[in-house]
Amino acid sequence: MSAAPIRESATGWYLYGVVPAGGEGPAAPAVDPSYEVVAIECGGVTGIASRVSLDEFDESTLPERLADAAWLERTIRAHEQVLEAALARTAVVPCRFCTVYRDEDHLRSFLAGHSNALAEALERLGGRVELGVKAFTAPEPRSTAGQAESGRAYLEARREEQRRREELAASRSRTAAELHGRLSSAAEDGVVLDLQSREASGRDEEMLFNGAYLVLERDRFERALDAIARERADLQLELTGPWPAYNFVPEELGRG
Amino acid sequence: MSSRELDSYRSGQPAQLADVLERVLDKGIVIAGDIKINLLDIELLTVKIRLLIASADKAREMGIDWWQNDPFLSGGNGQNGLEERLRKLEEKAGLPTSSEEG
Repeated sequence: MSAAPIRESATGWYLYGVVPAGGEGPAAPAVDPSYEVVAIECGGVTGIASRVSLDEFDESTLPERLADAAWLERTIRAHEQVLEAALARTAVVPCRFCTVYRDEDHLRSFLAGHSNALAEALERLGGRVELGVKAFTAPEPRSTAGQAESGRAYLEARREEQRRREELAASRSRTAAELHGRLSSAAEDGVVLDLQSREASGRDEEMLFNGAYLVLERDRFERALDAIARERADLQLELTGPWPAYNFVPEELGRG
Repeated sequence: MSSRELDSYRSGQPAQLADVLERVLDKGIVIAGDIKINLLDIELLTVKIRLLIASADKAREMGIDWWQNDPFLSGGNGQNGLEERLRKLEEKAGLPTSSEEG
C-alpha cells in the first residue's frame, strides 16, 4: 500500500493518530512527502501512519530539523492535515507530534498492546469534535501621562491611568470567564488555552480569550456563539476547527 | 441555520500556525515511540515561547490569570535549563524576567 521504500533500513514509522478499526489512510501529504499515509489495523483499532526517513526523524537528527522553522511548520501542518482528513470520516485520537517507531512490528505491537485503552478513548470521543474560540478586543489606549505639564499633573495622570488599567483588566477577566462559562454550557467539555501574542494571532487587536471545546451538537454551540456575538459588538470572535480532539484525549493512555 | 452569521467570524483561512502549534506540540496522547526526543531540550521550545508565551505576561497584566498554567512555563520539575533559556528570552525581549518567582 505504501510507496516502496528506497532504503528499507533507513525508514521508520510516524504515527499520527488512531481511528476505529476499518479506517482508511487519508489522502493527505505525509510528514515525509516521499511516502504515503496508510492505515495499519491491529488489535481492533487502526493506526494512521506513514513511513519516514530516519535521516530526518531519528533521535540524532530530529532536534536539528526541529530548529528549522520552515521544516517545523511544514511538518506540523502535515501532521495536522492528515488528522483533519481522517477526522472528516471518523473519530480520531491524535498523537503528539513526532511519535516514531523504528519498524512496523513495533508500531503494531503498540497498537495491539493498547487496543483497549485506545478503543475506549475513541468511544468517549464518539461524534464529538474540538472547536476553538478566540475573542479579541481593541488594544488599551496609550499612556498620555508623559504630556502632563507639571509633576503633580503627571502623578495624577499616572494614578488615573493605573486605576483605569485595573478596571479594564478586571472587566476583561470577567468577560473571559463569562465567555468560557457560556460556551462550556453548550459543549461537553471545555478548556482555557494560553493567550497568543499579536505576532502569533496576526491581528492588531489584543486576544482576550482563547478556549477549546469538545462539542457534540455543533448547532447548539454555534447558536451560543452567535448570541455572544450579537450581545458583544465590542468583541471580535473567531471560531476555528473542527480539530481532532487534541485537548480532550488523555495525555497518557490509561489515564483520564 | 446560523452559518450565515458564523461566516463573519469563521476565517475560512488555513489554520493559524499558532493554533496548530499549541495543539500538535503540546496536546494529544504521548506514546512511548522508539524515537525519543526531549521537546524541552530543543530550539522548538523557543519557537513556542516566541509565538505564544510572549502573551503570558500580557495576560497577567490584563488581569487574566486564571488560565491553565503550562507546566513548561511554571518551571519546577528541575527544568533549570529551560528556566534559564526563558529568562534569556525575556531579557532579550525587554520583559521583566521570571527569576524572582523561584
